Amino acid sequence: MPASNLLTQLLPELILLVGACGLLFLGATRLAASRSFLPFAGVLVLVAALVVTIRRGEPDGSFAAMGLWISSLTHYVRWVALSVGILILLVNWYLPVQEERGEFVALILLSLLGVLLTASANDWLVLFFAIELVSIPTYILIALSRLDQRAAEASVKYFFLGALSAAILAFGLSFLYGASGTTQIQHIAGGVISLTLPSTGELGSIAMIGFLFVLAGLAFKVAAVPFHVYAPDVYEGAAAPITGMLGFVPKLAGFVALIKLFAAIGWNLPIEIKWLVWILAAVTMTAGNVIALLQDNVKRMLAYSSIAHTGYMLVALLIGPVAGEGPMHDGVAALLFYIAVYGAMNLGAFAMIASFGRKHGELETLDDMNGIASQAPAVALALAICVFSLMGFPPTAGFIGKLYILTAAFSFSADHAFAQPLLVLAIVAVVNTVISAGYYLRIVAAAYVGKSSTPANPTGGFTLRWGLAVCSLAMLVLFVWPRGLAGQASRATAAIHDSVSAAHTVVRVDTDFGNAQVDRTSP
Amino acid sequence: MDHLLSWIIFVPTLGAILCLFVPKRQVRVVAVTASLAALILSLLLFPTFLGGGEGAAGYSGSHYGELHHVERHEWITGSNLAIEYFLGIDGLGFPLLILTTLVAFLACLASWNMESWKVGKGIRAYFVLFLLLETGMLGVFVSLDFFLFYIFWEVMLLPMYFLIGVWGGERREYAAIKFFLFTLGGSVLMLVALVAMYFYSDGALASEMQRTGADAVASGYRDGVALTHGTFDLIELATNKVIQGHFNAASTVFLGLKFSTCMFMFLFIGFAIKLPVVPFHTWLPDAHVQAPTPVSMILAGVLLKMGGYGFLRLCYPIFPTGGETWAFLLAVIGIVSILYGALCAMAQTDFKKLVAYSSVSHMGYVLLGIAVMTEAGFQGAMFQMIAHGISSPMCFFLVGVVYDRAHHREINRFGGLWMTMPRYGTLATIGFFASLGLPGLCGFIGEVWVILGTFAAKDNPAMPWAPTMAVLAASAVVLTAGYILWLIRRVYLGREREEYQSFPDVSARETMILVPMAVLSIALGIFPMQTVFNFTNGTLDNMLRHVVQVIGLVP
Repeated sequence: MPASNLLTQLLPELILLVGACGLLFLGATRLAASRSFLPFAGVLVLVAALVVTIRRGEPDGSFAAMGLWISSLTHYVRWVALSVGILILLVNWYLPVQEERGEFVALILLSLLGVLLTASANDWLVLFFAIELVSIPTYILIALSRLDQRAAEASVKYFFLGALSAAILAFGLSFLYGASGTTQIQHIAGGVISLTLPSTGELGSIAMIGFLFVLAGLAFKVAAVPFHVYAPDVYEGAAAPITGMLGFVPKLAGFVALIKLFAAIGWNLPIEIKWLVWILAAVTMTAGNVIALLQDNVKRMLAYSSIAHTGYMLVALLIGPVAGEGPMHDGVAALLFYIAVYGAMNLGAFAMIASFGRKHGELETLDDMNGIASQAPAVALALAICVFSLMGFPPTAGFIGKLYILTAAFSFSADHAFAQPLLVLAIVAVVNTVISAGYYLRIVAAAYVGKSSTPANPTGGFTLRWGLAVCSLAMLVLFVWPRGLAGQASRATAAIHDSVSAAHTVVRVDTDFGNAQVDRTSP
Repeated sequence: MDHLLSWIIFVPTLGAILCLFVPKRQVRVVAVTASLAALILSLLLFPTFLGGGEGAAGYSGSHYGELHHVERHEWITGSNLAIEYFLGIDGLGFPLLILTTLVAFLACLASWNMESWKVGKGIRAYFVLFLLLETGMLGVFVSLDFFLFYIFWEVMLLPMYFLIGVWGGERREYAAIKFFLFTLGGSVLMLVALVAMYFYSDGALASEMQRTGADAVASGYRDGVALTHGTFDLIELATNKVIQGHFNAASTVFLGLKFSTCMFMFLFIGFAIKLPVVPFHTWLPDAHVQAPTPVSMILAGVLLKMGGYGFLRLCYPIFPTGGETWAFLLAVIGIVSILYGALCAMAQTDFKKLVAYSSVSHMGYVLLGIAVMTEAGFQGAMFQMIAHGISSPMCFFLVGVVYDRAHHREINRFGGLWMTMPRYGTLATIGFFASLGLPGLCGFIGEVWVILGTFAAKDNPAMPWAPTMAVLAASAVVLTAGYILWLIRRVYLGREREEYQSFPDVSARETMILVPMAVLSIALGIFPMQTVFNFTNGTLDNMLRHVVQVIGLVP
């Protein structure tokens, strides 16, 4: 590949990299004027990268070199991460103190760069570096986000557990290399999956060990139970605006990596792995929701809610891809749709917390939120929309997201080997929606029903409110018109289908009552 | 295709949007005008149903599957999925639609002078939510696409949650969350059923197409329309022979259970929570006691009817065999609701709670009537819903009138109100006697029809002990009479109390709200055919024939 081709293919990433470095330099200058300009410059960088991504259109998947593969999945993750990234910057506009703003914005950009690279990685090493590029800036971001001992504690805690997960991930990847003799994730053209044994088409024992360790390492990143323990402390310690980012950016990178991991074995999961992911999903969502019920601290509550959402997304991951069907049937497309929606609604909820303060600093407990609705009806309305969307309640995009996961789980024909467990898992998810309503409603009730003698102090300025407004408006728009995002999400899975169907023969399902038209690869 | 139904549904929404922009003093005027406009528009539907003579049995009114004012557009479409914006009305939805617009209009009037308005708090938000609630309720009764139905069903919860939670009484947060969680719990089961029904109908059509070699299956009720994929169309699901055959076959299983039995139960629980029937009723007294008077009127008058409507629109036509399997259990639950609700009502000392429990008892008749699957049972259940939709909001408003003056609801602290407030006393007597089921008033017809229907089921092997049940249901009338008469004695009769001497009689506005309901209670009691049965029976009888036929066909 000529170098110029590489540069043009990676233009969005390069813009982010150059932008981040520029911001670091700008931040080091002592000009006060340049510092207040910094978040704006950050937004400009993201907009430029987004414009380049969208103008370039969907890549044809032909570019694959240097451990990278620019596919339709890359395209989707790029524009979702960059769009939500703009919102994240809007919400984080006033953070932190002036002197550190340059570094702060630059680190957010670098973390997003990591997500973009994760989406194009086609080599285990590149994937590993990309994921660490997502995580390392976040450790610093947490510590910078506010002048509070808890932020420093959260940062250190997150760093040590993050380092541990990186070690587990690297350990697992070394086994995958040992099993296959290559670090390449997918052979693009031939569809040869080197992790599987040629004789049976199943995972060998070495590859299996590697697979499990990688799964565990990534489960840290997406905060799945039992690797979730850091999440509540970290979310509580960091400032609310940056927490909105923590809930989304590492999770997006983690799920993209999980998609790549599953696609690397052609989604031909051994039955043990299927059950493992099944249990992981069921326990994650149930534990997340049940423990969230017991919280009085809003940020801890939302931390557990984000754990629960990981569980819903694991359901979609387990369902796996189905070619050409869209998110109604295609689990991966449903996952990609859901995570985009989740990014906005989660950010909106944290943005609302960030938009008011009490004497002791940020809003902490539910009681601190009392009376927000009578003080600021518009902010409370936006919060209500985001929270009902997290609950998965119409008329919001969160409902459509849950519906897609549910339909995808139901679309298996009855005689498929894993159809019944998936049905049960879908019902577990649906029951969890009811459990989650128990605490989401308390948030809304605190804002609308609770009475407070002292008004809260508005904080965060107008950019934060604009970010919140866009998040909540997006939830309503995506409910009425989900087709745009859904179409993008289902096209994004094209790259996965190609490798999956090439690696694996398509099972044609015939049952006594039909569904014969659905071609479904074994997930 | 006309847009009358869309106008009826969305006129309140337009009103809500207008409410956001007009000055605060005008909000009430806009809201009342919007709900009045919806009422007038809904009355325009009458000519369709007065058309006369189209029913097989000589009833005027519609058939099941014979829809009027149909409006359908594609909404969300996928590669093999079509969710439609599909509205239509038949004899099932029509009376409930009229009831909704009427009760909503009266409740809007009842909201005119709430306590909160004196401090100028939240008047705009209240009426916006109120009108959105009306849109949601109207949407449920006319949407015939299951997905659309579900959206309206859920969306309606939000305004209700806020109306109870923000403008309610002391324990409003608890009541609102409880109401929301109970209903959500039911509706997620409905969501599972929704998705399953779509995929199973898809499977049924696919295998039929494979069998015949054709590339489509003819629609069950629309001429010249063919189906290629699964559907959310509620009428299609009920009338298409292929889908019905697959849904009700014993070999169709869902998680190892018989499909129709399982889906029927999922849907049933969703609707039973709304109705409510006894194990699921505990949200109702809380919600009613905490809700402001107009919201209670809506809750009792319309929201409870959605449960009964759901049984008749979804459970029975689509899963007749499920209905047969569960018939005995449902009838028993119905009887228990009737008796338990009445006994609980008798034990209450809170005026509003008493009326709330009487609703549980009255809705038990609806469940019993539907469960026995006889003509009189279905007709009686439908009539009971309409009758309760008139008498129960009236009772709640009567409670509200006295609460506005006395600021408490302790039955035992009242006495002699009839002497103090003669007009109020007279209207209250009509309202409570209608609830009691006095012959000549609306409550009587529904109960008698249900009891007759239960007797008529005695030859049905699925319904052993039907006569015993009928006797039990009939004996509950004594309990009802007991608590209502005792209530009237304690509140309206007896010695006048000094603290209530100064109470003004009902105002012109309050009279304006009570009189239409009083007139309708009498009219329904004396002319049941002309007011309700003529509009509903064609559809109900036709549906019952369909149910019986499917049960007969499928072993």
